[in-house]
Amino acid sequence: MKLLNRQTEQLSSWAAYLLVGTGALLMLAPFYFMFVFATHSRTEIFSLPPPLFIGDDFLANLEILTSRMPFWRNLGWSLYVAIASTALTLLFCSMGGYAFAMFQFRFKNMLFALVMATMLLPSFMNMIPTFMIMDMLGWIDQPRALYIPGAASAFGIFLMRQSVAATIPKDLIEAARMDGCGEFSIYLRIVLPLLRPALGTLGLITFIASWNNFIGPLIVMRTPEMYTLPLALRSLQSPVNTEWGALMTGSAIATLPLVVLFVLSSRQLISGLTTGAVK
Amino acid sequence: MGQVSLQGIRKNYAEVSVIKGIDLEVQDGEFMVFVGPSGCGKSTLLRMIAGLESISGGELRIDGVRANELRPADRGAAMVFQSYALYPHMTVAENMGFALKMAGVPKQQRAAQVGRAAEVLHIVELLARYPKELSGGQRQRVAIGRAIVRKPAVFLFDEPLSNLDAALRVSMRTELSRLHKELATTMIYVTHDQVEALTLGNRIAVFNQGHIEQLGAPMDLYHRPANEFVANFIGMPNINLIDRPDSASAAHLALWEALQGSATVQRIGLRPEHLHLAGQGIPALVVLAEHLGDSSILHLQVEGVNGLLKAKVVAGQCITGQMVCIAPDASRVLRYDVDGRLMESGGNS
Repeated sequence: MKLLNRQTEQLSSWAAYLLVGTGALLMLAPFYFMFVFATHSRTEIFSLPPPLFIGDDFLANLEILTSRMPFWRNLGWSLYVAIASTALTLLFCSMGGYAFAMFQFRFKNMLFALVMATMLLPSFMNMIPTFMIMDMLGWIDQPRALYIPGAASAFGIFLMRQSVAATIPKDLIEAARMDGCGEFSIYLRIVLPLLRPALGTLGLITFIASWNNFIGPLIVMRTPEMYTLPLALRSLQSPVNTEWGALMTGSAIATLPLVVLFVLSSRQLISGLTTGAVK
Repeated sequence: MGQVSLQGIRKNYAEVSVIKGIDLEVQDGEFMVFVGPSGCGKSTLLRMIAGLESISGGELRIDGVRANELRPADRGAAMVFQSYALYPHMTVAENMGFALKMAGVPKQQRAAQVGRAAEVLHIVELLARYPKELSGGQRQRVAIGRAIVRKPAVFLFDEPLSNLDAALRVSMRTELSRLHKELATTMIYVTHDQVEALTLGNRIAVFNQGHIEQLGAPMDLYHRPANEFVANFIGMPNINLIDRPDSASAAHLALWEALQGSATVQRIGLRPEHLHLAGQGIPALVVLAEHLGDSSILHLQVEGVNGLLKAKVVAGQCITGQMVCIAPDASRVLRYDVDGRLMESGGNS
């Protein structure tokens, strides 16, 4: 009976591995083919069977890419907007979340409910008002139109508020107050270091969202020199003459910063930093 | 210096009054203990002295200077929290030196002061570690070290031993006594543990519902509790409080007579160690005998008396279910009036 149980357990374990493995392969396949196609010409990509391994047309594709669009400039704008977006979001959301979690002030709950209510609005409802506001401010075709409006996101404030409440004991704040810290000093020296895992998560989410943002730049960016990568790469596509090899090269290069970022920030995502703080 | 003066200190949360006008003078170098049941306001008062709670009324003076409006860091007080409240992202040395860093003390001087405090607390080898790498007792030492480094006028302890196991609590208690002698600094210590209060304090303030029931030296509180609340709160096992007899129970009447209860006495208090077993006396049933090794606590049922009486006797004299005779030590009785106040003539010598 025991043997039978063990065999059943082993079988279900193998089945689970098979299922998860298949799922992982299906997820990875598009990325693999993106990198493979980035090294093949358009003709090779559409041949039968399609190429399965790395080719030698990467530099040719890169040349086509850079001749058709200001690729490196677009990459630069993408990086600039994503970094600015992430930095501002982390700053404002951590401050807002800390305030909502730790301070007592009038209309606190009402204000928090209001912030949360903004999450209920579908994003496409904001498109026209955003354009109108940016136009009024004279920010059309300027990167700040991409990173300032979302700098204090409701989701970010919510995430930070929950993290502060869960990871920072009130005693620590009071101990810092006894030790001579002012309110901003407490935020800077005690709260921020302890929020590192949550900041890592929010930073990663914000960076990826900004990096992949297509609709935002589509609304406010006018000249191709100011495009971010998703918008610029989309401009390579046309109904008859799309350079798929170049497009895949651009996409592959565009993916690399995200991979690097994930590797760098994965350590921050590991929580448990507050172990030993109290009791 | 470390003189703390509280005059008419009050604390209100909206309509609710939690501290109802406290007058108290804590002398320089004194070890003052605030003791009382949960929710009596002792921790709130400590936090008001620390500056972590605002003061609704009255005046707080530290070393003669009005401190009501001073920032916590400017009051010359250092606090040790129940939860230790060590910064988890800093090493022990950084934790201990943090207040000095905030005060702008140069790095070398900081290191020297931290080193001296670490020597006093025997935690020199822990300085490079993080709080998560320490045991509960070590964390508590670091928390105390963090307070010592600041050289405060007053140490404030908020139930600092309550998260430690029983054995560690005893050793830390001794350690705290040693520290107090060594530093000779004023200490205000909040606890709900009467053993800590009795063993540590020069004076004890017994709190109840936002006011001080009695203030005095530990043995005064034990031997002459000013009212039934203090009598009941101080002492383990609890004091026996015996009501004036209102029934015709012979045993109850005999007990009252043996306790020398007079007409004005409403209730009589008698410590368990002053209720003895005797060859002859008042008959009682041993409902439960708790053997503690060196002594036994007997829970006794005397006919007509409400509740069980406790007697602390030499170990192994009785077993549960046995009938015994008891005799109170009449010279040690505490007599309380109808309002539960100790009657002047009723104290023991």
